[in-house]
Amino acid sequence: MGIMLSLQKVTKIYPGADSIKAVNKLTFDLEEGEICTLVGPSGCGKTTAMKMINRLISVTSGKILINGQNVANTNTIELRRKIGYVIQNIGLFPNMTIGENIAIIPKLLKWDKGRIQEKVQSLLEIVSLPPEEYRDRYPRELSGGQQQRIGVARGMAGDPPIMLMDEPFGAIDPINREHLQNEFLRIQEKVKKTIVFVTHDIDEAIKMGDKICLLKDGHLVQFASPEEMLINPKNDFVSDFVGGDRTLKRLNLFTIRKSMQTNPPVVNVTETIETARNLFVKLNVDYLIAVDSDGFLKGMIKRDAIPAGVDTVMDATEKTNAWLPGTASLKDGLSEIFTHDYGFLIVVDEDRKVLGWLRTEDIKKTLKG
Amino acid sequence: MNSKTLVELIKRIIPYIVAIAFVLWLYVSYGAWAYTLKNMSEFFRLIGEHMVLVFISMAAAISVGVTLGTVMTRKGFEKSASVIMAVVNVWQSVPSLGVIALAYGILPMIGISGIGMVPALFALFFHAVAPIVRNTYAGIDSVSRDVIEAATGMGMTRKQIMFQIELPNAMPVIMGGIRTSSAIIVGTAPLAFLIGGGGLGFWIFTGIALVDMGIMTAGAVPVALLAMLIDFLLAKLETLIVSRGILSDGAQTAM
Repeated sequence: MGIMLSLQKVTKIYPGADSIKAVNKLTFDLEEGEICTLVGPSGCGKTTAMKMINRLISVTSGKILINGQNVANTNTIELRRKIGYVIQNIGLFPNMTIGENIAIIPKLLKWDKGRIQEKVQSLLEIVSLPPEEYRDRYPRELSGGQQQRIGVARGMAGDPPIMLMDEPFGAIDPINREHLQNEFLRIQEKVKKTIVFVTHDIDEAIKMGDKICLLKDGHLVQFASPEEMLINPKNDFVSDFVGGDRTLKRLNLFTIRKSMQTNPPVVNVTETIETARNLFVKLNVDYLIAVDSDGFLKGMIKRDAIPAGVDTVMDATEKTNAWLPGTASLKDGLSEIFTHDYGFLIVVDEDRKVLGWLRTEDIKKTLKG
Repeated sequence: MNSKTLVELIKRIIPYIVAIAFVLWLYVSYGAWAYTLKNMSEFFRLIGEHMVLVFISMAAAISVGVTLGTVMTRKGFEKSASVIMAVVNVWQSVPSLGVIALAYGILPMIGISGIGMVPALFALFFHAVAPIVRNTYAGIDSVSRDVIEAATGMGMTRKQIMFQIELPNAMPVIMGGIRTSSAIIVGTAPLAFLIGGGGLGFWIFTGIALVDMGIMTAGAVPVALLAMLIDFLLAKLETLIVSRGILSDGAQTAM
């Protein structure tokens, strides 16, 4: 993985504002396939910095290199066609169908018709909008969230190695935003674009970024991975900006699977109640996870709530919803632990096969590193 | 077709039928039909002249109006645009008869006769170009900045943005200007007779002068039918050239 995007002492001074440097000697490198979130308070220069990459804003001094090539020496139009561009207010073309909107860059790049059709088809599938249903509809017939998915699909249509995204999910309600963020990260797993992602929301920056570039008044304050920035904020500004709950925020960076223990207290539902009683004593636990012979979750048994006169574990098993898939974040895991009385959480796979269990002390261990 | 859309269709057609029936009744009862039959060759000459007046001035107003309105939105023309818009707004308030009189009075100053079809065409053109300029400018100006920014950032050239984004999205507003202009032209064309421009105004004014309702209606009714036909054709045209993605709901059901 080589350096895809490199900013070298990039400075922007807007005409008429001589002394104010909107962006001041910004320097950072981005490797191929990484997402870099540009974040900071409003007026920090994050959008200006992003727009200099595709030359919507000219650079006053310094250099921007894409794959080692100075963007100042490339044809503006050709440069932009190789850089996907997604903006907050989406900007779909109202006079064109969804299919035509997505096809616009491939058309400008003079791809042949069959290839364009295939691309539109596959992109609509990737953003979970069935092509047959959506290709021929118009932007105004779609909801905001759907429109932004099309915006993202359109940005990716020309197979650009680099994408610029200016608060792409900023205008979308919180529930849809989280959904789109997750979906986008899932897409990114597959396509591995190099992405510059502008946001004013530190939580989004932490969630989406492989690297966070925190700006203030045009200066780069800290350029680091989310983990690094949360553990070692460079100064008071950074720690204020990431917030007093930065340790809790780190919970978002891990999956449950990474933190769980793989020796959960399980008992087979076909066992006798005596075996279960012995297990409670032996493992010194108040609850046992009941599974079937293939390891699939059946429920939970409580030590002092075994009904009288039952013979098998099956009869004493109660249903439980204290479980999460291993792909959930530690934050969700912690929340779920506190929701139930068991003091732990069952970790399962997609088919609800038990993988392990998660206790607060496991989380503590993960955060300590 | 279900019964609801049928009722809607009938509701829409009824005003047309009533208007046409009324006009035709006037036409026959005043003796205009008989007068026209008697003067068939003159009728064809007049309606020919009338069509020339309407369609040539219309074509000129559309081509000049849309071009000027588009140029005004280009970079570097911001200042002249506000001046032109001010002129256009004042100009629109000049009444039709005034425009005809101005053509008669002013054109001789630049060496063009003030009498005949040419000054009439000038007058119609100048009167009709204003709404087209104004609507083209306003239509393009109202295309969302986000749309333009997205197009620019994606690497579309200025020309591509103009032809693929700005003009198509401004089209409903531009078409509105064209329909206004056509109404102005059709309404003003009979006045061309006053400066020797010919057309069906000849019969209308002759009829008024002689207090002969037959002659007047023989001129007025074809003018009215022409107006309705042109408006109908423009509405049809609108559904053809305006994208379904931006047609207002009203316009979608209009035809």
